[in-house]
Amino acid sequence: MLKKILLLALLAVLVGVLSGVAGIVYQKVYIETVGEGFVEIASVKNIIGASLLGAFVAAIGYFLLSLVLKGKTEMVFNLLFVILSFASILGPIGFKLPLEQEMPELFPGLAVPMHFFPALGWFALKPLFGKSI
Amino acid sequence: MKKLVIFSSALLLTAAVLAFAVLAQAWTISGKYNIAFSSNEASGIFKTFKGSIAFDEQNPAASNFSLSADVASINTGNALMNKHAKSDEWFDAAKFPEIKYTSRKIVKAGTGYQVTGDLEIRGVKKEYTIPFTFKRTGNNATFNGTFKVNRNDFHIGKPGGDVSDVITVTVAVPVVKG
Repeated sequence: MLKKILLLALLAVLVGVLSGVAGIVYQKVYIETVGEGFVEIASVKNIIGASLLGAFVAAIGYFLLSLVLKGKTEMVFNLLFVILSFASILGPIGFKLPLEQEMPELFPGLAVPMHFFPALGWFALKPLFGKSI
Repeated sequence: MKKLVIFSSALLLTAAVLAFAVLAQAWTISGKYNIAFSSNEASGIFKTFKGSIAFDEQNPAASNFSLSADVASINTGNALMNKHAKSDEWFDAAKFPEIKYTSRKIVKAGTGYQVTGDLEIRGVKKEYTIPFTFKRTGNNATFNGTFKVNRNDFHIGKPGGDVSDVITVTVAVPVVKG
């Protein structure tokens, strides 16, 4: 059990950092493409912090599901992760930026894809842990 | 002949001095103005604002304002809300691109002033009296005013709903002489 928790924590850190880095890279590409990156709101600290938070919430969810579902954890968790990632895009769409911020219509284009990065990171890295988790 | 020239010159000079005394000082709006609105659910600013201001603290009766805000420049901080605000249900920016205010009377009121004029939104014109202050520092000055607008008077949105009917408008306009 302890080994499983530690491995899940390690996976969460790896997923958080990977998706955070992906978010920062995406932001750089976005700035180059449209000329706006909302760097005050989507700062490096905020991107990494939100990615780590997302990954840790996923890890806790996976652990709790595994206690209940046993063999079907993977299937249900992946489905839930995708659904919740989709649902979370309502956050950036409804987000109210500071009034002095120009072009708020470009904000969802930056933040919405980032909401899928933790799920992508999880699906990419989880198989590396085999059946240990 | 010489007397006639002197008399005419004196008359012209007197007329010029009197005209200068009657016309209020012209002020130019500087860039850092703030035209903001707020209510329980919606708040935002108009980013583009222009107009002409002639104002004399000593002679407010000779003063006048003619101001307009660009409806399409509305910013609520959220793209969906901006789009909604510009739609025909709310400000209808395509049909009514400007919000206008033209003064009719300016009077001293306590420590500040009061301007009465026509506020035009969505093609509906209504008389509004707006209290304001005028703080002057050399060639610079700032007009500050706060007033309430009932959006139903101008058919902005549907009555009731999430956004309250009465919207508070706050105006801060820095100006420079000339």
